[in-house]
Amino acid sequence: MILDTRFFFRVLVFPGFLFLFSFTLFCDWFERKVMARMQNRMGPSYAGPFGILQPFADWVKLLTKEDIVPEGAGGLALAIAPIISFSLLVLSMLYFPLDGANAFSNEGFEGDLLLVLALVTFANFLLFLLGWSSSNPYSGIGAVRIMTQFVGYDIPLTILSLGPAFLAGSLSLSRIASVQKVPFALVIPWVFAFFLLALQAELEEDPFDTPHAETEIAAGYWTELTGRKLAFVRFSEDLQVVFGAVLAADLFLGGPYGPAFELGHGLPIVWFVLKALFIIFMLEFVEAVCARLRIDQVVRTNWKLMVPLSLLSLALVTFCIPFVQSATGGA
Amino acid sequence: MMPRLGLLEWARKRSPWMLHFNSGACNACDVEVVALLAPRYDVERFGVLNNATPRQADILVATGPATRQAAPRLVRTYEQMPEPKFVIAVGTCACSGAPFKTCYNVLCGVDKVVPVDMYVPGCPPKPEAILYGITKLLDLKNGG
Ligand code: SF4
Repeated sequence: MILDTRFFFRVLVFPGFLFLFSFTLFCDWFERKVMARMQNRMGPSYAGPFGILQPFADWVKLLTKEDIVPEGAGGLALAIAPIISFSLLVLSMLYFPLDGANAFSNEGFEGDLLLVLALVTFANFLLFLLGWSSSNPYSGIGAVRIMTQFVGYDIPLTILSLGPAFLAGSLSLSRIASVQKVPFALVIPWVFAFFLLALQAELEEDPFDTPHAETEIAAGYWTELTGRKLAFVRFSEDLQVVFGAVLAADLFLGGPYGPAFELGHGLPIVWFVLKALFIIFMLEFVEAVCARLRIDQVVRTNWKLMVPLSLLSLALVTFCIPFVQSATGGA
Repeated sequence: MMPRLGLLEWARKRSPWMLHFNSGACNACDVEVVALLAPRYDVERFGVLNNATPRQADILVATGPATRQAAPRLVRTYEQMPEPKFVIAVGTCACSGAPFKTCYNVLCGVDKVVPVDMYVPGCPPKPEAILYGITKLLDLKNGG
């Protein structure tokens, strides 16, 4: 039966909700620590060992702060958008084959790659709605910037994620991960590089963090959020980073399968976590060394550079497929 | 470290986010507050984050005397912060008005317009002193 205890355990505890929750908090700590070290600081140090409980402390504190709804703000959208975008992101995470199978203990289906990308787009649209409905000029501008940036960079990101899909001959996340005897990051490194760049823009990190540009628009679409809403929106943002890292690890680094592929799986989840942390480290590294682009530069980079480049690289991938397949003995 | 406190007190103590408001300081105090965020003192060690908006702050770090022009804005900023919220007056000016006390445009210290929970005197106070003020305040407010 599908509704047995194992199903609930997998969805709610491991590798489902509880695992994702703690992993996201851990990644937040990891990001902050990497960022701090890059800036020659210590980063969070006193909440728990090495400050590892810092994101948890922030989260608990935010949950218990006063919840203010500004005058004239769209009540319903403001109230439900954070929690729905959070749920959509958790749902999309459940489709990744985190320990060889996804949280619904199957191999996924043909096309779940597109499903998770669509879910994340919805989640971002809700964040736009959130900023738009909080009746504050800064939030409004931040929200419009999210939309401009996200709609734009979604196109190259989707096109680029088709590269590995073409090589694997499948749109299923677990199949793409499992056919990678050699990680696709080595087979098609140019797609990997562009993918990380597009991901950087999707996650609104420097050099693309215009929706949060503190020096221009206060805190962007977060400006009016307090208490519980802020807790969930912050968590969604962190979850999105984890999503991006897990997606890149799945598509380009072979997901849950270790480098010694023939020697069996070992501990799939350990590989997945290590690969995701590696991707997060790369993203944070770029964020730490880059300055922010202006919004017009962001948009121009998108339409004049990223979209043509991603189309070209996809064409190159299609050209390469026969060679790659003959070299790696077929996908 | 953790067991004596409840989860909530622990979280509040470990995650004080601050907002810096200058209501007429000579800028020396502001530089000291900014030095807190920089590598040498790095308040993020204690979980302190500097925020861009009052909606997300727990602690209002006020520098400078309350001038007639800035006072209403200071009050408004304070009112925009969600409970529980605290105010730290940083610098002798913020505590009492100090050399500017008798100016025609100055209303003395910031405690004339918003309730202040912690005074950090000094002209300007050292970053260590501000940090000590913040940690002391959190200890007092969250029971130990
Ligand atoms: S206390 Fe001293 S340093 Fe601070 S604002 Fe006043 S005059 Fe300037």
